[in-house]
Amino acid sequence: MKSNAMNDNHETSSNIAGKVLVVLATALFAIPLVWMVLTSLKTPEQIANAPYSWWPSPLRWENYREAVSAMPFLRYLVNTLVLCLGSVAGTLFSCTLAAYAFARLRFPGRNLLFAVLIATMLLPWQVTMAPRFLLIRELGLYDSLGALIAPTFLGNAFYIFLLRQFFLTIPQDMIEAARMDGASELGILWRIALPLARPALATVALLQFVAAWNNYGGPLLYLNDPQHFPLAYGLERFVSSHSTQTHLLMAAAVLFTLPIVAAFFLAQRLFLRGIATTGLKG
Amino acid sequence: MSLKRQELIAGLTMTGPWVLGLLTLTLYPFAASLWWSFCEYDLLGQPRWVGGSNYARLARDISTGGQFWQALGNTAYYAVASVLLSVLVGVSLATLLSQTIRGRTLMRTLCFLPAVVPTVAAAVLWMWLLDPQAGLVNKALTTLELPAQNWFRGTSAAAWPTSWPTDAGGRVFGSKDGLVLMSVWGIGNLLVIYLAAIGDVPRALYEAAEIDGASPWRKFLHVTLPMLTPVIFFNVVMGLIQSVQAFTDVYLVSDGQGDPAGATMTVSLYLFLTAFKDLDMGYASAMAWLLFVIVAMATWWLFRTSRKWVHQ
Repeated sequence: MKSNAMNDNHETSSNIAGKVLVVLATALFAIPLVWMVLTSLKTPEQIANAPYSWWPSPLRWENYREAVSAMPFLRYLVNTLVLCLGSVAGTLFSCTLAAYAFARLRFPGRNLLFAVLIATMLLPWQVTMAPRFLLIRELGLYDSLGALIAPTFLGNAFYIFLLRQFFLTIPQDMIEAARMDGASELGILWRIALPLARPALATVALLQFVAAWNNYGGPLLYLNDPQHFPLAYGLERFVSSHSTQTHLLMAAAVLFTLPIVAAFFLAQRLFLRGIATTGLKG
Repeated sequence: MSLKRQELIAGLTMTGPWVLGLLTLTLYPFAASLWWSFCEYDLLGQPRWVGGSNYARLARDISTGGQFWQALGNTAYYAVASVLLSVLVGVSLATLLSQTIRGRTLMRTLCFLPAVVPTVAAAVLWMWLLDPQAGLVNKALTTLELPAQNWFRGTSAAAWPTSWPTDAGGRVFGSKDGLVLMSVWGIGNLLVIYLAAIGDVPRALYEAAEIDGASPWRKFLHVTLPMLTPVIFFNVVMGLIQSVQAFTDVYLVSDGQGDPAGATMTVSLYLFLTAFKDLDMGYASAMAWLLFVIVAMATWWLFRTSRKWVHQ
């Protein structure tokens, strides 16, 4: 690619500048996470006292045990898992059905409905927040995880869009052939479309799992009894009552972040596909 | 039964759950909040029609520089600063990460990683990093002989814009800037999109520029940047819509009340508190609708001006 010697020299000096810059920028992005982990292993004295030091000495693993036992961690974790799994089930059920219909069926009003679906993605939550809250309370779901899980059974525009894009790539011939053989649409979805769409389904499941794991606004609005708190919300309660015990706060934050980071490393391709199809939603 | 009829029934059944959700969780609340914005409603009784008085109250607040006006200002500051920085950092960092360099994959992963850190954990972490006394950022600033900043949990001096551009202690930045920093740190999803877009720029364009003797900077300016404008446009529109809706991080760093001294009281937060602390649903609904109209107009304006700068 490089054509002549002069160009080479020219490129080398700016290449070095570019390389130094990229390493510096990466360090700036990584330091907060490193600092979180390092702080989570320090003693409170080391955090409070000068001089400022990077490495925890001694390593205080008890911080983790203390953070966990300072809150009903197991209860929060069980609630979180119920919330995550329930909402993944709801999302897969409702979004798969709608996405298949939008991608593969022709029915009057389909294009109009699809335009409405896209429009709802742009509607700010503030506009629907209050009446939605009241409706969910009327249904008797206030102060239960059901308030957060039930809506996922009624679809989500982003995921429907993502799955529809995937279903569009399935060859129409395969679907027509099955139809000619007398298969029902549900049968086609179940036996042909879903097995082919496994990677897209995994992407949606993963994104929804992470979204439910992180969800803070939902519990803030709908939950009252600590018995029902998921980790995201319970953790914040812990934070406000232990705001001076930085070592425990960081240990709790690391514990809460770790499963998501692990999921990212195990399933990078799925995360990246989600970003590529729906943009910023991740 | 004909195939066509079968397809119709299947289509209606399969979109059924979503249509039910659309009607109950989107369209009904959409209409109800418009209705409530003309009512007085405290959640306990029935909504009582009061005409345009909620909007008149908003107009009065805006004309006298009241709480809503300040919340609008805070939201605008946060939205503009975080969107501009996300474009700037997103484009330049993605360009840097596109170089051929050893450890590139690792560096890309490290820059992306903050995007998957849960907001609650990120907020806890950044409140510690930006602590005015013991935080790492201020320690780094003072080590470099720069003035420490007020950031989170600061005094009322952090309440931009009262102390802007600088106060006596050389403090420029306050709580809102802390929120902006947090949002830029979690820019990973955008990076992925920018990296893909840079990878899609035809090699031939760079080769042509090289034959003309273009420096790397000129190649960036005249090849990469124009080819990225569609993604930048996407970034600006989505960034605007999302930053106006930002809630969790704002709520967490502001102790749920816009601390310090209202510096982090955004429209989202003010609206939430008006609805669920003051139980003033009518006024909150009027705010929501005003916000909706402002965002819709801003988006429309962005689309209109985009013809002038977005590469087709």
